[in-house]
Amino acid sequence: MHIHELNPKKTIITLTIFVVVIVVGLLTISNPRLKYELTPEEIVELVVWEDGFVFPYELEDVIVGSVDTVVLIDIRNTFDYSRGHIPGAENISAVELLNKDNIKRLKKLQKGGICVLIYGDTQLQANGPWMVFRQLGFSNVKALMGGYQYYALWKDNLGDSYADDGYLLGTADFDYADIAENARIVEDENESNKQTLKVQRRKKTTVVEGGC
Amino acid sequence: MNKNYIILFGILVVLSGGLLFLPEKNNYVEESPENLMWDIAQPTRYISTDQVAKMIIEKDPLFQLVDVRLDYDFEAFTLPKAYNIPIDSIITADASDILDIDDINTIFFSDDDIKADQAWVIAKRMGYKNVYVMKGGLNCWIRTIIQPEAPPETAPITEFELYDFRKGASSYFTGAEISIDSDIKKSVNIKRRKKENVAEGGC
Repeated sequence: MHIHELNPKKTIITLTIFVVVIVVGLLTISNPRLKYELTPEEIVELVVWEDGFVFPYELEDVIVGSVDTVVLIDIRNTFDYSRGHIPGAENISAVELLNKDNIKRLKKLQKGGICVLIYGDTQLQANGPWMVFRQLGFSNVKALMGGYQYYALWKDNLGDSYADDGYLLGTADFDYADIAENARIVEDENESNKQTLKVQRRKKTTVVEGGC
Repeated sequence: MNKNYIILFGILVVLSGGLLFLPEKNNYVEESPENLMWDIAQPTRYISTDQVAKMIIEKDPLFQLVDVRLDYDFEAFTLPKAYNIPIDSIITADASDILDIDDINTIFFSDDDIKADQAWVIAKRMGYKNVYVMKGGLNCWIRTIIQPEAPPETAPITEFELYDFRKGASSYFTGAEISIDSDIKKSVNIKRRKKENVAEGGC
């Protein structure tokens, strides 16, 4: 005879406590306010395909009001915003945009099919916040290519920026290998007056030990 | 069989069935969206090309460079001793082997800083610590380190000191010919040794 069989109720009580603990645990499990809706794999796919950016020239229709399905959010600081911003833009920092009220509003805008276009000083400043909102499932959040700096350069003729590619990022401006191969620094233009001293390089030690 | 055992068996089977409905767990601890956004708002993740050049020259053992460009770009040119983790491979186990090392600072770089920044956001979400971005990327590397521009004569002394460092760094990374000021009327040619510093050193 097992010891618990002396008191069969003991097992029932243990079982009940066990089940209650499990149920209470499941009910009170922490449920974060914000959850990632996209997996890292999906967000990698998103950035590889570069889907979710708005060209500067597309902004013209938003500013003149012929497109009313876009809400502009300026995520720069208040000082920069006060010095100049895109007409119609609201000033809400990226961190504030995650507030309860703003998330509620973003959800409402998403439901209504309204695009939320965020911009920073540069595209880089809006890049991170844009990725966070996409990961949270806000597929209506887009980022402005070029940022405010590019807009400020072209604000009087935004439509013409169609033919410009100065806002494009992620491309090489140089043939790095070629430059590294042929790099030289010349300060003196009158090379004919120069005496050349050839120095054989000594195992990369000159600069390192020079304590730069 | 004792009735209690049957009840216990039944309850455990039901509870274990519940495991099937639990969400798939990652083998890493994700950064919360709030913390991630807070980190993004800070500019502390950016490291200048000058700082990177100095770390390479001084052979700082506590950092590593990760080139997030495509493999054929990496093959053509990269920075010394950089690893290549194209952005679409950042979530692989191989990438984890490189990124998940305590106490080693990882600096991402790409052509400019947008792809490196995106890689940083993904890495940060996946809980990797000590990750940074080289500000301006390789375009800035060429402009500042490989082909530095002399400051105007009215510039403060610190700019001239920086320029001097960059000139030295340029010759370090390229083995380039350096022509010194006309007052001295001499130039120093540093003979290049088979691209060792840039190409061979980096792969």
